[in-house]
Amino acid sequence: MSELSYQSPLAGITAPSGLSISIREITERGMIDLRGLTSDAAFMSAVKGVLGMDLPTRPRTSVSWGDVKVLWLSIDQWLILSSRSKAHELLAILRDALKGIHSLVVDVSDMRAVIRIEGEGCREVLMKGTSLDLLDKEYVQGCCRRMRYAEIAALLDVVEDNVFDIYVFRSYTHYTWNFLCATAKAPAKLKLFGAQEVPA
Amino acid sequence: MLVVKCPVCGAEGDETDFHAGGQAHVRRPATTDPAHVTDEEQRDYLFIRINPKGLHFERWRCDRGCGKWFHAARDTVTMEFKAFYGITELPPMDVIAQAKGQWAEYFEHRLKSEHKA
Repeated sequence: MSELSYQSPLAGITAPSGLSISIREITERGMIDLRGLTSDAAFMSAVKGVLGMDLPTRPRTSVSWGDVKVLWLSIDQWLILSSRSKAHELLAILRDALKGIHSLVVDVSDMRAVIRIEGEGCREVLMKGTSLDLLDKEYVQGCCRRMRYAEIAALLDVVEDNVFDIYVFRSYTHYTWNFLCATAKAPAKLKLFGAQEVPA
Repeated sequence: MLVVKCPVCGAEGDETDFHAGGQAHVRRPATTDPAHVTDEEQRDYLFIRINPKGLHFERWRCDRGCGKWFHAARDTVTMEFKAFYGITELPPMDVIAQAKGQWAEYFEHRLKSEHKA
């Protein structure tokens, strides 16, 4: 049997020149899908014992502790982010801690691809693909949400002001990448509200 | 464009972020009494839907959000949403009071049977 090894969906592809923002793929990210009930005190305390922090229960928020970050996906679902090498170990510890508790823990590191979008104006670029108002004060550091981006399902994580991670299912990676390359071209730069610059 | 608000996670957005799931409060007869389901009951469950002009009750899903199903009361003429409520819940009483025709009959029957139980 052949050896299983991870291959990045965008291996060998670099961002074209002439973009108004910077985009790159993040490959070194491990992801664990966690499901359970917030009303179950045993579940919440078991997870806290492993991660060292409370799960975010407020919709569309994330919390981080050290190099682990937890994204809120639904009222009973979270995505735990860590490094790819650590995810395996974390998964085993979580499984062990949640033994006998109604819950689900799965390693989904290869399920989604992560694209990092950085730079002045990246909100406007992202808004070309979604109905969300990313200029709203809700979208600050510590906010994450699932959304419809360029007609596909995506997960948005506001890492910092003007630094966004966008998670898409792996088979949509090329599509998302091409969509971003097309909409982020420097001459197509938008300034929402106020006078628009005239392209040279 | 419809602006929908999910009662589960509070996400408010364009209807493209949500998924319409057809008529609300359709009950599967076989759930309560699988041994005595008539052909007519099964037909009504599968195919017969209310198509009112005015207030209507629908199922929606927070498709690009928390992924949960919920109910909505919408006016099919003005496209105005009257209420969003949980998937296991009945609409607010003031919205039920506005229901007409088959929906009014349905809620009258439903409230009566729940009152008995």
